[in-house]
Amino acid sequence: MRRLNVPAIVLGLLLLGAWELAARAGQNSFFPPFSTVLAALWANGGVIAAQIVDTLRRAAIGLAIAVAVMVPFGALIGRVRFLGDIFEPLVNMLRPIPPPAVAPIALLFAGTGDAGKIAMIVYTCAFPILIGAIDGVRANHPMLTNVGRSLRLSRLEIMAFIDLPAAMPIIMTGIRLAVAAALLVSVIAEMLLTTNGIGVYLLRSQENFRIADGLAGVVAIAVVGFLVNDLFLRLDRRLLAWHYATTGGAEGQG
Amino acid sequence: MTVPVLNATNVTKSLGGTPIIGGLTLSAEQGEFISVVGPSGCGKTTLLTCLSGLRNVDAGEVSFEGQKLDGPPDGMALIFQDYSRSLLPWRRNVDNVLFGMRRMTGVSAQEKRAKAMEMLAAVGLSKFETHFPWQVSGGMQQRVAIARALAARPHLLLLDEPLAAVDAQTRADIQDLLLSLARQFQKTCLLVTHDVDEAIYMADRVIVLSNRPTHVIADLQVPLPKPRDQIATRSEPEFLRLREKVLTLIRSMRTAA
Ligand SMILES: Nc1ncnc2c1ncn2[C@@H]1O[C@H](COP(=O)(O)OP(=O)(O)O)[C@@H](O)[C@H]1O
Ligand SMILES: [Mg+2]
Repeated sequence: MRRLNVPAIVLGLLLLGAWELAARAGQNSFFPPFSTVLAALWANGGVIAAQIVDTLRRAAIGLAIAVAVMVPFGALIGRVRFLGDIFEPLVNMLRPIPPPAVAPIALLFAGTGDAGKIAMIVYTCAFPILIGAIDGVRANHPMLTNVGRSLRLSRLEIMAFIDLPAAMPIIMTGIRLAVAAALLVSVIAEMLLTTNGIGVYLLRSQENFRIADGLAGVVAIAVVGFLVNDLFLRLDRRLLAWHYATTGGAEGQG
Repeated sequence: MTVPVLNATNVTKSLGGTPIIGGLTLSAEQGEFISVVGPSGCGKTTLLTCLSGLRNVDAGEVSFEGQKLDGPPDGMALIFQDYSRSLLPWRRNVDNVLFGMRRMTGVSAQEKRAKAMEMLAAVGLSKFETHFPWQVSGGMQQRVAIARALAARPHLLLLDEPLAAVDAQTRADIQDLLLSLARQFQKTCLLVTHDVDEAIYMADRVIVLSNRPTHVIADLQVPLPKPRDQIATRSEPEFLRLREKVLTLIRSMRTAA
């Protein structure tokens, strides 16, 4: 287990304390104190948890699809010259389009159900992962390919057993960016294509001026986001122990 | 006349417009240990990539066991100059050795594993099979690379300055290990090095290369008794005579250049 990060915890408590005091002093119903939000979280815990499960489920499915498609696709674009020539301009053109802008298209083709929201998540996650994979395989030392070739491996074997694992540190950076984006877009997609999920919960709370309930949802998302990020950070340290050990960064053996 | 294991005739190779190899001819007979010695940057690594089929030659021909090369052939193994990059750091030592046997057919997974363990034992690393390459010393990493190269039972072993980056004591140990393995498994070996003493100590025959574009300027038999001994061999009059001869050749090239 890692040590507790005491300064960060102290900072968090101070900020919450400041919130509490400021809200109590202000007496504005749009700015309830933290204790009220905590009470709302307690009261709505079941609803919020159920909604977050939906949100997380879609984020996870979208992320998984993006990883499964974009990692091999990026490796191909990075390694095969003519595929790079064809697809890189397209990737660079699509990349700056914000996910909400594709909502109408997702809605049109995939509907307002799970499919439409997952499509938006896949779209968002695709780019950091794709770019990580392209850059990752290109950063590999050419010597690694020679090792595979001298062992008489096929191009596909070299890609699967040498290129991709060697590129994992950079690909993982892309995946971790995608994880954060997946959660964010999962919530945004719910707010745009309303059916269920924590995004809809937030929207309904706002519409009905249930400010404390809404903030309780926000706090819940923040906590879940933190935990998910932490999970992937641990996964990264574990899978890439070899990388951190050979580059002298972070912890040694995972 | 038997077919040489490896035969290069009039090989020419340019990289990025620079001529690196200029009409090089050499051959290796079954069971021979050949050292190829040449100054740094003369094109030794380039030569090995051509001899191993990793690169095509511009002109001339390379053949392995009578077959013209077209890509890396079955039965040849290459040990790279930069061992730390040639091993896969995400695989344990034993899995790196196993990786060298991916293309071996007609051998079960258990047999491969047993063979991998046997090779690790042969290079003195039985206790380190579950370590990762980055958890062991540079010399040990090169031993893993040697085990991986030998595991697929190659007929010919090409070695690119495998000991250039290890300390003197480790170098001597691995030199003797390589000699005993070559003898034990009856391998034909071609060792590239810039270290004249190493070239003579290891070899039955020393081939001296010129500066770029490189070609053979001398091909010398090494009539030293075997097995070699780090102290006795290096003080034999014949060793010293050869050493002086090769050093003089290399020195003369430096002044000519
Ligand atoms: N792709 C390349 N393009 C141009 N020159 C190269 C290329 N690769 C290597 N060289 C040059 O070829 C020469 C021989 O390199 P190398 O075969 O690695 O020499 P050695 O192994 O003897 O030190 C070096 O001077 C190097 O700068
Ligand atoms: Mg070299």
